[in-house]
Amino acid sequence: MTETGKIEPVLDVSNLTTSFRIGGEWHPAVRGISFSLQPNETLALVGESGCGKSMTALSILGLVPKANGRVEAEHIRFQGKDLSRLPDDEMRKIRGNGISMIFQEPMTSLNPVLPIGFQVVEALRYHQKLSRGEGEKRALELLELVKIPSAKSRFKEYPHQFSGGMRQRVMIAMALACRPKVILADEPTTALDVTIQAQILSLLNELKAETDMSMIFITHNLGVVAALADRVAVMYAGDIVEIAGVNELFARPTHPYTEALMRSVPRSDRDTKTLYSIPGAVPPLTRMPQGCRFAARCELAIDVCRTQNPPLDVLGSGGAHSVRCWVRGNHDLAEMKENADV
Amino acid sequence: MLRFVVRRLIFAIPTLLAVMTVVFVLVRIVPGDPAQTILGDQASAEALQNMRERLGVDRPILEQYVEFMGGALVGDWGESMVTGKPVLAEIARVLPYTIELTVVSLIIGGLIGIPLGAWSALHRNEWIDYVTRVGSLLGLSFPAFVSAILMLIVFSIQLRWLPVISGGDRATFGEWAESLALPALNLGLIMAAYITRVTRSSMLGSLGEDYIRTARAKGVPERVVIWRHGMRNALIPVVTVVGLYLGILIGNSVLTEIVFNRPGLGKLIVGALGQRDYTLLQGLMIIYTFVIVIVNLLTDLTYGLIDPRVKYQ
Repeated sequence: MTETGKIEPVLDVSNLTTSFRIGGEWHPAVRGISFSLQPNETLALVGESGCGKSMTALSILGLVPKANGRVEAEHIRFQGKDLSRLPDDEMRKIRGNGISMIFQEPMTSLNPVLPIGFQVVEALRYHQKLSRGEGEKRALELLELVKIPSAKSRFKEYPHQFSGGMRQRVMIAMALACRPKVILADEPTTALDVTIQAQILSLLNELKAETDMSMIFITHNLGVVAALADRVAVMYAGDIVEIAGVNELFARPTHPYTEALMRSVPRSDRDTKTLYSIPGAVPPLTRMPQGCRFAARCELAIDVCRTQNPPLDVLGSGGAHSVRCWVRGNHDLAEMKENADV
Repeated sequence: MLRFVVRRLIFAIPTLLAVMTVVFVLVRIVPGDPAQTILGDQASAEALQNMRERLGVDRPILEQYVEFMGGALVGDWGESMVTGKPVLAEIARVLPYTIELTVVSLIIGGLIGIPLGAWSALHRNEWIDYVTRVGSLLGLSFPAFVSAILMLIVFSIQLRWLPVISGGDRATFGEWAESLALPALNLGLIMAAYITRVTRSSMLGSLGEDYIRTARAKGVPERVVIWRHGMRNALIPVVTVVGLYLGILIGNSVLTEIVFNRPGLGKLIVGALGQRDYTLLQGLMIIYTFVIVIVNLLTDLTYGLIDPRVKYQ
């Protein structure tokens, strides 16, 4: 907004909780998480399926289904506005304009009965006062920007005439249409095969370098994180359990869950017969344990882990690396033990 | 697409031939003697025999079949055994009534059913939805002749808005509309009940799709999300049901036609059946089959208008 924009984060999320009503009771899927996104930064949200990554993104855009979902936050600040308190109509002006989103499933995320050109034009039409001709011209530029071959002749074709990778390019073109400040990319390469994944990732990297946009990149693929992210937030069962710069995180994974995730990545430079997998599964929303949600699967768990959820502690100086763990955080365990006994 | 239409029509020929054969046999299996029906119980054996000869039903069945098929193919469908008028003329006289009734009912059904179904889907499990669902269930289970009589009582006898029996005079638009209003409303409401239910369920399906979320994420206004993105995709099952129901409607409008004293295919069929009018029945069955073929063809062509993935080859 102001000249100090370089220092101010583009997006600041504070104490975001997203709950769902299951069997008449509200269960949080995202539990009071806070993070901020700097200009031109890529923040990766990492974690297993069902840990709340996608819900975080949908909550920011106000796309959580209202029938059985509820979003609460201290604030979600974007361009001086608090998105968590914005009326529907104001929120609509932000979606696809200031913040846009790329979804996981390119096969089903495009409308099958509308031409792709039209779907890109639509992203422009409600935010920018463009004439029909101008809109189509800009949409064509966008399709060329995301490297769709012979975009002009394919402008009026329908999604079923495109491959998965090409459809994801169309999705990206739609997301970029209004030159958003923030892109929320929800596992944009998961549904694609490996060579196409690499193409899409390098495309996203190029586009980010050319514009000043920031990106929240949701993935469970640590290889993608290493290639793309500036900073990483590891999520588990609705909590951010560790957040750090990408190099710091790969050099010093601190939370036992982060560590376990890294051990689960298949490596071609080591001769291993079996791939490590974390025992157990993420607890279901309706049966969240009382203490640290990872305790039941954690090799390091001690008594206090099972009764109290640890706070997110800053490690060392600089405040860039935080972790939510009784054992690995800055805690005086003896003191903790005393408190627990009381 | 023209090739598709022509091909479909050519494929309809064997269907029509088969139906004609089945109809020919069926009509003669129905118990009863047309001569007896025409002349009554008191007729002498001689008179009956003369009548049978005149009708041609005394000849060998195969001969009758060859004559019927041959005649039908060159457009000679014979004369009604009862009135003596040409079958084609009899049918041509009532067909416009049936078509106008069907088309206007369809329009009423669509105009009520599609928005109501969509509205119900958007307010799923709210009271609006419950009211709509119960209402449409009532519409489905209510016998058409009962609702027709109720309408007559309310609109013609109590409110006196419309005549109980509209005269045959249909010279002006006003007279035409008066004669059509209640029958079309009666069948249209039943149609609306079907369409509401199908639209609701297919709309619920399409609103849950990923592309709806994409449209919202683009900042498309909710109204446009629902109608352009949701409805367009939800219409395909609706078209299927409408197509199937139209076929049923054309034959089943008989009760409505009787209550409102309107001419129509349904009434003609029931009359011909009661009087064992073989030739007229055969003609009506062929027309009925033909109408079904055309309705199916139109249904298939409508799919193509809605869904670009449908290809005509």
